[in-house]
Amino acid sequence: MHKEIFIVGLNHRSAPIEVRESVAFERSQLLAALARLRAFATIWESVILSTCNRVEVVAAAPENHRSIEAIKSFLAEQRSAAANGALDEHLYSYRGADAVRHLFRVAASLDSMVVGEPQILGQLKDYYNMAQEAGTVGTVLHRLFHRSFFVAKRVRTETGIASRAVSMSSVAVELAGRIFDHFEDKTVMLIGAGKMGDLMARHLQRCGVKSVMVTNRTFERAVELADKIHGSPIRFDDFPRYLKLADLVIGCAGGPDILVDAGMVEKVLRERKQAAMFFIDIGDRRNFDPGINAIDNVYIYNIDDLKSVAEENLHERSSEAEKAENIVQEEVESFIGWINSLEQVPTITAFREKLETIRQREIAKSLSGGLKDLSDKQRRAMEDMTAAMMKKIMHGPITHLRKNTESEDEMLYVAALKRLFDLEDK
Amino acid sequence: MTVGMSLLLLKLTALLYLVATASFVFYAFRRDTASRLPPLVLSGGFVVHTLALAVYFFQDGYPALMEMREALLFKSWLMVAGYLLIQLKYRLTVLGGIIAPLAFLMALASIAFGSGSGEIPPGLKTFWLPLHVTLAFLGNAVFALAFGVSLIYLLQERHLKHKRMTALMKRFPSLESLDRLNYLLLVWGFPFMTLGILTGSIWAGIYWGNYWSWEPRQISSGIAWLFYGALLHGRITAGLRGKKAASLTIVGFAVVLGYFLWGDAIFPSRHGGRFE
Repeated sequence: MHKEIFIVGLNHRSAPIEVRESVAFERSQLLAALARLRAFATIWESVILSTCNRVEVVAAAPENHRSIEAIKSFLAEQRSAAANGALDEHLYSYRGADAVRHLFRVAASLDSMVVGEPQILGQLKDYYNMAQEAGTVGTVLHRLFHRSFFVAKRVRTETGIASRAVSMSSVAVELAGRIFDHFEDKTVMLIGAGKMGDLMARHLQRCGVKSVMVTNRTFERAVELADKIHGSPIRFDDFPRYLKLADLVIGCAGGPDILVDAGMVEKVLRERKQAAMFFIDIGDRRNFDPGINAIDNVYIYNIDDLKSVAEENLHERSSEAEKAENIVQEEVESFIGWINSLEQVPTITAFREKLETIRQREIAKSLSGGLKDLSDKQRRAMEDMTAAMMKKIMHGPITHLRKNTESEDEMLYVAALKRLFDLEDK
Repeated sequence: MTVGMSLLLLKLTALLYLVATASFVFYAFRRDTASRLPPLVLSGGFVVHTLALAVYFFQDGYPALMEMREALLFKSWLMVAGYLLIQLKYRLTVLGGIIAPLAFLMALASIAFGSGSGEIPPGLKTFWLPLHVTLAFLGNAVFALAFGVSLIYLLQERHLKHKRMTALMKRFPSLESLDRLNYLLLVWGFPFMTLGILTGSIWAGIYWGNYWSWEPRQISSGIAWLFYGALLHGRITAGLRGKKAASLTIVGFAVVLGYFLWGDAIFPSRHGGRFE
C-alpha cells in the first residue's frame, strides 16, 4: 500500500500555553510513547516533537484517514487528566505535500514563535534521534528529516532570516529595558538549567548584568552551569531565601510545578522595599504563578507574551521570509518527487515485467506453432525485433512517468498505468 | 508698552504651545522622526512667553503676580522652564507631550481671565510678594512636572502589565528612571513648597499680624504640604515607590491644581487678589 506523511499536533498559534502544557511529553516518557505509537496498525513510522511551542506527531502511514484519527486519539490519551475542554479544536493536521512543507517550515524556523531563532533545528535533531533510538523511523521519515535539516541550512545561508533573528532572549532583554534603566547593578536568578534560560542569562550578561545566581533541582547541574557563566550556584531548597536579591528571575525548570507563587513574591517585595522585579517564564512548563502579574511593581512574561512582542518585529523581515518560503516550496516539490518515485519505480518494473511475460509467452507459442521451422538466425532476429518493439512501446510511458516525478498529477499516471495494464503491487 | 502688545504676545505663546502639542502628538505616533522638533517648538513658545512676562513686568513696574492671569502665566512659565531643563538632561521628550498641552491650557485660561485693575495694594509692594509667590509657584511647577512623569509611568506600567508593546512605548524611558525622576522632583518640589508656605506665613504675620489664620488658602496648602510630606517620607523610609508613588503624585497634584483653579471661588479668601 502507498505510504503518506501525516503531521498532527498543536503549536503556539493553535493553542494557548495551558493546552500545550497539558499534552507535552516529558523526555523520560518519550521512548514509551513512541512504542505506543508503533503499536497502532495504521502508523508505520513516527517521530514525536515536544518543545515549549509545539507538540507534534510526524508519521508515515498508509494513505487513509484512520491514521489522523489514530494520532489524535493518541494525543488525547497523553493529555493530563486535570485538563478540560476539547483538545480537537486546537489540533491541526497535514498530509502529503502539506505535511512536508510544514516540517520544512518548522525546521527552517519559519513556524517559530520568533522566526529565525536557531534553537528549533537542534531540538528537531534531538527528537529525530530519539525516535531512531526507539526504532520508529523508517525510509520515509529518515529521508524527510534529513531533508528538513538540509532545508534549514539552505534557508539560513541563503536568506537573512537567521542573521536578523530576534531571539526570545533579545525580546526579553528589550522588555527588561522598559523596566530597568541599566543592568550593571541588577541581579539575575536562573531557576533551572534549561537551554533557553542559559541563553537568556548570557544575553543579559552581555547587556551588563554582573551578578547571576543559578539554582537547579540537581545541584551539580547548577554548579556546572554557574561555572560556565561565572555565576553563583544556589541549592534548590534555598532559592526562596535568595529571591529577594534578584531583579530578574528566569524560570526554566522543566517540571510541572509552580515554583514561585504570588504570596512568596509579595513577601519578597516587602523585603526589597518594593523594588521592581521581572519574572520571565520560558521553560516548557510554567514555573511561576501567572497571578503574580496582579502585584504592583512586578512584571511576569511567559513564552506566549514574549511571542506577541516578538511579532511586532516580524513585519520588517517579510521579504526575507518570502525568500525562505520559496526555498521551502522548491524543496517540498523535490521531496514529493522522491516519495512518489518510491511508488513509481515498482510500477515501472511491474510494467516491464508484464510486457516481458507477454512477449516470452507469445514467442514460445509461435515457436511451438506456425513458426517452429525457423532457423536459429531467424529465431534470434525475431527475438531482437520483439524486444525492440517492446522497448519502443514502453519508452513513451516510462519517460513520461520519470519526467513527471515532480508534478502533483504524477500519481494519476501511475494509477492509470496500473489500471490499464492491470499491474498488481508486489 | 500697551496692553494690546502683551495680549498679542500671550496669544502667540498660546498658539506656539498648541503647535508644540500637535508636534508632540505627531511625534508620538511616528516610527522614525527626529525627536528634536517638538521640544524646539516648545522652546520657541517659551521665548515668547518670557517676553510676555517681561512686558507685564515693565507695564506694572513690578512682578506681575497678583491676578489669576499673571499667576497662571508665571506658573506655566516655571513649568515649561523646568521641563526644558529636564529635557536637556534626560531627553524625556514624551514628557513634553503632557507639559505642552498643560502649558497651552494655562495660557488659554490666562487669556480668558482677562486683566483686572493691575493695581496692587501699596501694603503688598514688598519683597515678600515676589519671594513668597516665586517659591510657592516653583513648588507647584515642579509638582506639575512630577505629575507628568507619573502619568508616563502609569502608562508605561499599564503597557507592561497588559503585555502590549507599541511604538509609543519604545519612546518611554524605563520605569526605573521615571520613578527616580519622580523622586527627584519630589525632593526638589517639597522644599520649595515648604519655603513658599514659610515665607507666606511670615509675611502674613507681618501684614495681618497673624502667622496662621486658618484661611482657606493656608489650609489647602497645609493639606497639600502634609500630603507631599507623607509621600516623601514614605518614599524614603517605607519603600513607597513605583505605581503607588506615581498614583499618589497624581492625586497630590490634582489637589493643588483643583484648589488653585476653583478654591477661591468656593471658599472666599482674603488671600491672592481679594483683600477686604
